[in-house]
Amino acid sequence: MASASTSKYNSHSLENESIKRSSRDGVNQDLTEAVPRLPGETLITDKEVIYICPFNGPIKGRVYITNYRLYLRSLETDSALILDVPLGVISRIEKMGGATSRGENSYGLDITCKDMRNLRFALKQEGHSRRDMFEILTRYAFPLAHSLPLFAFLNEEKFNVDGWTVYNPVEEYRRQGLPNHHWRITFINKCYELCDTYPALLVVPYRASDDDLRRVATFRSRNRIPVLSWIHPENKTVIVRCSQPLVGMSGKRNKDDEKYLDVIRETNKQISKLTIYDARPSVNAVANKATGGGYESDDAYHNAELFFLDIHNIHVMRESLKKVKDIVYPNVEESHWLSSLESTHWLEHIKRIGHGDKNHTDADRSPIFLQFIDCVWQMSKQFPTAFEFNEQFLITILDHLYSCRFGTFLFNCESARERQKVTERTVSLWSLINSNKEKFKNPFYTKEINRVLYPVASMRHLELWVNYYIRWNPRIKQQQPNPVEQRYMELLALRDEYIKRLEELQLANSAKLSDPPTSPSSPSQMMPHVQTHF
Amino acid sequence: MFSLKPPRPTFRSYLLPPPQTDDKLNSEPKIKKLEPVLLPGEIVVNEVNFVRKCIATDTSQYDLWGKLICSNFKISFITDDPMPLQKFHYRNLLLGEHDVPLTCIEQIVTVNDHKRKQKVLGPNQKLKFNPTELIIYCKDFRIVRFRFDESGPESAKKVCLAIAHYSQPTDLQLLFAFEYVGKKYHNSANKINGIPSGDGGGGGGNGAGGGSSQKTPLFETYSDWDREIKRTGASGWRVCSINEGYMISTCLPEYFVVPSSLADQDLKIFSHSFVGRRMPLWCWSHSNGSALVRMALIKDALLQRKIDQRICNAITKSHPQRSDVYKSDLDKTLPNIQEVQAAFVKLKQLCVNEPFEETEEKWLSSLENTRWLEYVRILNYLVYLSFPFSLIIFLCCNHVLSILLTEEEGRDLSCCVASLVQVMLDPYFRTIIGFQSLIQKEWVMAGYQFLDRCNHLKRSEKESPLFLLFLDATWQLLEQYPAAFEFSETYLAVLYDSTRISLFGTFLFNSPHQRVKQSTEFAISKNIQLGDEKGLKFPSVWDWSLQFTAKDRTLFHNPFYIGKSPPCVHNGSVKSFKRTKKNYSSTLRGMPSALKNGIISDQELLPRRNSLILKPKPDPPQQTKSQNSDMEPYFREWFSKPVNLHGVILPRVSGTHIKLWKLCYFRWVPEAQISLGGSITAFHKLSLLADEVDVLGRMLRQQRSGPLEACYGELGQSRMYFRASGPHDTDTSGTPEFLSSSFPFSPVGNLCRRSILGTPLSKFLSGAKIWLSTETLANED
Repeated sequence: MASASTSKYNSHSLENESIKRSSRDGVNQDLTEAVPRLPGETLITDKEVIYICPFNGPIKGRVYITNYRLYLRSLETDSALILDVPLGVISRIEKMGGATSRGENSYGLDITCKDMRNLRFALKQEGHSRRDMFEILTRYAFPLAHSLPLFAFLNEEKFNVDGWTVYNPVEEYRRQGLPNHHWRITFINKCYELCDTYPALLVVPYRASDDDLRRVATFRSRNRIPVLSWIHPENKTVIVRCSQPLVGMSGKRNKDDEKYLDVIRETNKQISKLTIYDARPSVNAVANKATGGGYESDDAYHNAELFFLDIHNIHVMRESLKKVKDIVYPNVEESHWLSSLESTHWLEHIKRIGHGDKNHTDADRSPIFLQFIDCVWQMSKQFPTAFEFNEQFLITILDHLYSCRFGTFLFNCESARERQKVTERTVSLWSLINSNKEKFKNPFYTKEINRVLYPVASMRHLELWVNYYIRWNPRIKQQQPNPVEQRYMELLALRDEYIKRLEELQLANSAKLSDPPTSPSSPSQMMPHVQTHF
Repeated sequence: MFSLKPPRPTFRSYLLPPPQTDDKLNSEPKIKKLEPVLLPGEIVVNEVNFVRKCIATDTSQYDLWGKLICSNFKISFITDDPMPLQKFHYRNLLLGEHDVPLTCIEQIVTVNDHKRKQKVLGPNQKLKFNPTELIIYCKDFRIVRFRFDESGPESAKKVCLAIAHYSQPTDLQLLFAFEYVGKKYHNSANKINGIPSGDGGGGGGNGAGGGSSQKTPLFETYSDWDREIKRTGASGWRVCSINEGYMISTCLPEYFVVPSSLADQDLKIFSHSFVGRRMPLWCWSHSNGSALVRMALIKDALLQRKIDQRICNAITKSHPQRSDVYKSDLDKTLPNIQEVQAAFVKLKQLCVNEPFEETEEKWLSSLENTRWLEYVRILNYLVYLSFPFSLIIFLCCNHVLSILLTEEEGRDLSCCVASLVQVMLDPYFRTIIGFQSLIQKEWVMAGYQFLDRCNHLKRSEKESPLFLLFLDATWQLLEQYPAAFEFSETYLAVLYDSTRISLFGTFLFNSPHQRVKQSTEFAISKNIQLGDEKGLKFPSVWDWSLQFTAKDRTLFHNPFYIGKSPPCVHNGSVKSFKRTKKNYSSTLRGMPSALKNGIISDQELLPRRNSLILKPKPDPPQQTKSQNSDMEPYFREWFSKPVNLHGVILPRVSGTHIKLWKLCYFRWVPEAQISLGGSITAFHKLSLLADEVDVLGRMLRQQRSGPLEACYGELGQSRMYFRASGPHDTDTSGTPEFLSSSFPFSPVGNLCRRSILGTPLSKFLSGAKIWLSTETLANED
């Protein structure tokens, strides 16, 4: 950026903030130490480098690499710049320039991050400084490939809340009123022998026997049979999820699968047809027949109606996200911002998801999870009082999706997490969040029982999530804290202050009176009386 | 399916009141009772019964039956049926729920679906067919549709022609405001000078409901200007009366402010050299003494240099530090009025006329192509740039310059820029009264041509929504600094709507002189004694009680506003807000040498600026990059610090920050409405809390001052529309079901595209001669 020559002062407050934040998060930050360290975190190396800041130009600094993070502190007096990047965020490390490269800062490392950033460090050409740094970074950023443990298994942080207890499937099913007449909890997958990527507890139609389930499993990709996700508390309609049927080129059918879907339909008697939403574009569904997959055809499933939601696969999504990065990092494409944004198709994908399928809860490290969180954010914009959590909550989840500090998002399925004893050996992200809940609360939240949100999935309302996608750019930074939230918090504090002073005054007044006080002694008693005069 | 075709006979009985049955007998007396509510001076010119007002886009089941009338003020649909599906109606006291003021009509389309004909009705035009349908396109983005299946064909035609005729008057004096005000004078003959002061020209700021009884200064008098000089502490400036009786210029106010060092005699001489004799007008002074001045171009090339120098010297002399003048030529830096108008037409097309679903895919690029946001952004950006020096001062640097805005006539973009600068720099203009006085000062009195720009007479090629552009730019600031404004976005939207009601004098004329001249003529023709009054006193738009009840006016109040009175809390402790004393250094150290010798032009200071925001294709604010300029660090620093809401506020102008003002442009679009959502739901929640805090504050004061019972009266007042019904109501109360992203407006009954069988209304608007939506019609024939 041409403006790079300008002051470095204050332009990196966000990065500054992140460190302040982490110290509040329970990091034992010893101020005398050069780098903040989590319990269990060890310093591997440190080196003097030039950080080529995309916003402010080259800054001399010292980089510290631990088994958890890359940390850079400016060595220049006029810059308070700090970089704090968990190594898990790194997706690629590349060498730039060769031994013969000329020109200032042309020799060094280029690091691509999953959080929309790129980091460039220039190093001295002498010695093996770059090779050492490259190797150490590679080793600790991709530990599994180097037979090293993920940092989550080394993390010794302690929180006063145990996040691993937030989700208990039996309790959750009970909350939904399950089991009931139509749905039962089955332990058939207790040891993950029916389906290794499903959880141990499954909710299935009461009328389907475990043998039925086994036969259906043979006809579903990776044995992911239709199981209940959610049941409506009043009308008892359900959301059921499953993988594609193994129809194949020859159009195979499976009586058990057909019957099973009809049993599901019958659990809600008012419904004459079961609606199947196939998340894919129909072209992809057809194409998948070639590899043994396919979709539920009308002939085989008479009582079902199939709709394609036209949600593109993760490869398309990844391309789209890459394009978003191209237009926002490091410089925001200003001259044609809206059409550039449109050409990424990112919001379009968000819109599609917003329309239909919300079942993509895969903790897969693909943009699908990011899109889910983005959709939630879009909804929280449309319904500012409907969510208990705030934007920071969503950003924190996404940050730790990659950071490898917590076990929450490690591995691909419950069975793998169980094998690795994740709950015993790692800390849950929810421990961090729930031990500091206030920070993640939306002050405008209004609890409304059984409130259904009807978001408008229109490009007219979808926005790019600036505070996530463009947060590294000091120029684009939104006001923090959000002025609307801040004002609300101020008023809340003022209310409490007034109530306190009213109580004090009333106490003082009643003390002055020799007669027994006739006026109410606390504002909470008095208020209703006063309120009647409105 | 809601269709243009007459319903099939078999369905007739469900859809229409059967004409020959008992039902009709029952409904007849009903319809007879349907009488329009008329204002003084308002007369019904034509009417037709048994009209169906279409409500939903895809069904006729909600349609309303009633009478359509055309008066000299509005078209009115009168019905006994309640509005279906509508959960909330924000009532304008001047208008019925289904009424459209004639000045709000953009286009009138009549359709005969049997003959498959349609015609856009101009004034004095003939209509060769009997319309079965009438579609009114409103300037405020609404589309209203009536069907005449059961009405007398001739009377339907007459009403359409009457609407066409009365909505496109040939003369200014035919606008309803004249009739209305004339009647008021006649009716109040006993009263001195006509109108009782309540709704007189004074127009209170009291309008905004509870609280202030202050009045909006109109800047029609010497004393209003004098007070403004004193308020801003502008020494070195004086009120000048040489234009009394509009002797010098017919497009300047009678009183305005000039540098004290310029004598009346000099000004009189200079005035001949300016376009429209619009000599320099003082707008405002910063507390450091820097002034904001606007003027027209000097047309006399020979004298240009000399006069320019004299003016600049005089401005410099008026500066306490004798600082230089920074000239900003708006003609060179902003899009012209035609471009703004073109952008607006496209925006409107996109927002309401194009099919909703079809525009989804390319929504962002289509929006970009309208260029509306770009212009809003440039306006914000220009203001930001044209004031770098006063900002830099604020940011503890030492450049103290006065600003001189020049524009050919000095009455279009100058209004936008001058007022927006003041909104950003002076917190007073972010209050309701302040904002209104700003509009009086920089728009109404400065001769913004509301008549032509709003196109009230519908025949001007000079239409341009500059006032809306200003409101939109203000909204961007409100969006970015919600606690800095006393007013809400509803206020801004309602203010915009008020420009479409031809009852207020405020937005009716091209200049104050035109009001005096036209209304004096009118008064003479109507035998109205004016006494020593200068023209008729039209009601002022600032008298909001004419349009809204006290309760409804409370929606103008922004609950986020941190005013001076309610103290605010930081970290739990209660503090009162004080206007921060600004510490400006009075020396000129650190000033670039180029600045020290007199006048500085844009080019010298900001070499790259013109290339950056020049039309026709202004570059975006990558200009900030201009490496040479040393102001970027100041801006950066400013943005990195907490904002003092009672000081300067600067807009963030990156493409990601400038947004579409959805309430204004989407409020009538049913598909875009978020039911039980939108920012209003947070607004509601905060209002409850603010109200609770107000109540507690009052209780505290009572406790201190004496027995509770003493001040109960006070408790009845509230600034808030939404009020806490009990303690901690905020914690428990849910979202009222009538809230939506369109609140307080409702899109029910506004017909968007699909209502007419998928024919893009753009085809109507372009005036196609043949009914294009023949698909369905043809199928039926």
